Amino acid sequence: MLIHCTMDELTAVRDGEGSPGALRHLDNCQACRDELDRLHQRVAALKALPPARPPRDRWPLIRQQIQRDRRRRRWRTTGWISTAVAASLTLTVATIRFAPVPAAASDARSDYQELLARTQALEGLLRRLEPEQRVLTGRTASAVGDIEDRLMVLDARVSRAQRIPVATEDLVRMLRLRVELMDALVNLHTTRNTYVGF
Amino acid sequence: MIAALDALAVQRAKTGDLDALELVYRAYEGTVYALTRRICATAEDAEDALQETFLEICRSLPRYRGEGGGSLTAWIKRVAASKALMKIRRAKYRDADALHEESAPERRAEDVALRMDLESALQRLSDTARAVVWLHDVEGYTHEDIAEMTGRSVSFSKSQLSRAHARLRRWLDGEATC
Repeated sequence: MLIHCTMDELTAVRDGEGSPGALRHLDNCQACRDELDRLHQRVAALKALPPARPPRDRWPLIRQQIQRDRRRRRWRTTGWISTAVAASLTLTVATIRFAPVPAAASDARSDYQELLARTQALEGLLRRLEPEQRVLTGRTASAVGDIEDRLMVLDARVSRAQRIPVATEDLVRMLRLRVELMDALVNLHTTRNTYVGF
Repeated sequence: MIAALDALAVQRAKTGDLDALELVYRAYEGTVYALTRRICATAEDAEDALQETFLEICRSLPRYRGEGGGSLTAWIKRVAASKALMKIRRAKYRDADALHEESAPERRAEDVALRMDLESALQRLSDTARAVVWLHDVEGYTHEDIAEMTGRSVSFSKSQLSRAHARLRRWLDGEATC
């Protein structure tokens, strides 16, 4: 009884990996050669199938997601800078504390410490709100982006202020502005969370 | 068909320029969707795989070091195949086994009378079998490539291919003489 090639053997032959036994059988069996031809034809037909076209334009969604990823990365960078700035401000306050200062400067130092505590509290609050996990509307995302940009610029100025002599009053002004911006950022995220019922 | 994409646009895309990334998307969306649609069971899954492919490309393009349009195409298609395979793995609850293991009466019914066009027959294969057939026979991936992409063995890929062809043969041409 003649034993024909299995599909395993035929696909192996087609891929150039046929066993000597299968190849010998093919030499002598017209039915198996026909079957191998059918396999070739089927593959040719598969290759000739018309390509499917995407039913919708997905680019707007992809673009939105990329922008969101970038905002998230920027936020992580901002958070890191803020922490660094807060640390350097604490160091500045400590230095001021041990230096002999006049009464006006003492008031500025007190404001300074209060604002520092406030900005750190706001950062903690913002972290708890997990802004990077939230979906934002276009308008809110734009407002958040604007505030984050201003915070980054301000943090860079504060960082520079640590390297050159700057009056405590100037540092207080910068820190006050920072608190205002952080406040606005927290409000934006809080409003958004309340609105969607989180 | 891959639309012309000049080297300058690719360089700009690598810097994260969104307009240039859109050019990459426009050049490859058809190729990627044609591949993901053949592997995924539904158009929705194929669209999701398309989106995930381009998100991955946009994130990884700055680190891409390949040269020439051919290599970029091969890389993008490989990412697309991986995303589509990931989709079918997630949807595996729809398939009880690697191949649809129909009950005996169902198998007999299809053996006796079922004749269908190639498109329908391909769609009737299990997700895994269809993916292996398409990746190997149409896209030209080796069984080793497919084993790596699917996280299975080379012999798994080979057996999926031959079993799928046996089924296609039966559905398209009736009972085999071999």
